[in-house]
Amino acid sequence: MSNLKNNDIAITSRIRLARNLKNYKFPINMTNAESNCVIQEINNAVSKHYKDYKLTYMKELSDVKKNSLIENHIISPALANKSDEGAFLLSPDQKTSVMINEEDHIRIQTIEDGLSLKECWKICNEVDDVIEENVEYAFDRELGYITACPTNIGTGMRASVMLHLPALSITNQIDKLLYGVSQLGVAVRGVYGEGTKSIGHLYQISNQGTLGASEETLIDKINQIVMQIIDKEKNTREHLFKNNYDELEDDFYRAYGLLTNARKITVDEAMKLLSLIKLGSEMGITPMVKGKNIYQLMIWIQPNNISTIEAELSPKERNKKRAEIIRRELLR
Amino acid sequence: MLCNECGKNEANVHLTHIINGKKTESHLCEECAKKNQTILNSNFSMENLFSAMLNNSFNNKTYLPAKGCSNCGMTYESFRDTGKFGCSHCIDSFKGRLRPVIKSIQGYDRHTGKIPKRAGGDYKVQMDIERLKNDLKGAVEREEYELAAELRDKIYELENKKGDEQFEK
Repeated sequence: MSNLKNNDIAITSRIRLARNLKNYKFPINMTNAESNCVIQEINNAVSKHYKDYKLTYMKELSDVKKNSLIENHIISPALANKSDEGAFLLSPDQKTSVMINEEDHIRIQTIEDGLSLKECWKICNEVDDVIEENVEYAFDRELGYITACPTNIGTGMRASVMLHLPALSITNQIDKLLYGVSQLGVAVRGVYGEGTKSIGHLYQISNQGTLGASEETLIDKINQIVMQIIDKEKNTREHLFKNNYDELEDDFYRAYGLLTNARKITVDEAMKLLSLIKLGSEMGITPMVKGKNIYQLMIWIQPNNISTIEAELSPKERNKKRAEIIRRELLR
Repeated sequence: MLCNECGKNEANVHLTHIINGKKTESHLCEECAKKNQTILNSNFSMENLFSAMLNNSFNNKTYLPAKGCSNCGMTYESFRDTGKFGCSHCIDSFKGRLRPVIKSIQGYDRHTGKIPKRAGGDYKVQMDIERLKNDLKGAVEREEYELAAELRDKIYELENKKGDEQFEK
């Protein structure tokens, strides 16, 4: 088997901090004027230190553009619903965003490649300190940072890692494993967060509790669990390589054949097949895919990302466009 | 396949409902699916489950209707329904009754993480001292006297700092 990197399995890491201003009601209760004040206050606080962060109001964006930002994990679905009150600040490298007036006044989020929760925490922590220099946070000595929902109270931190687990999925071990980790106070979700199903064998693992442990402890716990899952996925891949090589090779080449020849393809089918050739490439079985960023391709072919490339498309046109993009990228 | 509802457009949203063990499938086009979005959006999120828990814990008969939050006017009833606070002061207004619920949800009822510099103030220094004292105890137990001396100096430094700040005020 080729050299498998942990980053092939743990694709991205994300830290999100929830914060609120003491002197404003929470977004659920705010008037338009108040929500504008909050946007200005936070924008001023951030731009004092980070001059190149760009402010965007939700009301400036079309639905397709909003959904495309969700597909790229830059904003949350909840912020997209705040058409009148919501806004976000985005760093030039697009890795850090500060969402304003979502469920809480402030949601600081950083995404990095690979298993890198500590790096994400460092960045979020700095942005958090910068904002606090200019605003007054809602904080309670016993209960920590106060959030609109009690499920975020305390650290206000959600640490999550996106995992690609095709071998555990195709061998039907995934449900058992995910049930197991859920017993450890860890939440498992589909790719695009709460309430969404898993597509392309992508899973998101995050801390369930936010109170009673320090940020570092919560991160260590997620890291430990993720490392164990990575080991299980690796072992399963090795087992498959030894015992089911012919079947796998056939599956991977069929997937490659379909992806490079299809003239129209749905997002579900494309995600399933791309997941297979990603696995094939990492196992060294499909060399023609080597060096291509399949995960990036998985994001590009999401419905709204396809629509933002050109004019708004119907589902039928999207399926054709999607097949075209996949062929172009794979055969390049 | 054509949409079950309008029978005109291609169906591209496929729903499977399992209600009381009975499985029904429906195939809808994008437009009809949008109309049915309330069904699509019904998820068992943590927040939804949380508000269900609140309902149970507040529904006992000894519960007296309390006045709402002094700042935003949010009442227990509306907090119970949404599971969300209206402002940062709600927590003080509801604290006594909230604590057991928070503990049952989070497993803990005391914050031990980051303390903000401004909002935390003296408390941050105090908590730093407590943490160092804890470390000191451990160091003494392990007979690591050099480390213990270092920690003792740090505690001394922080306690002086705290005193100075109080003096300035």
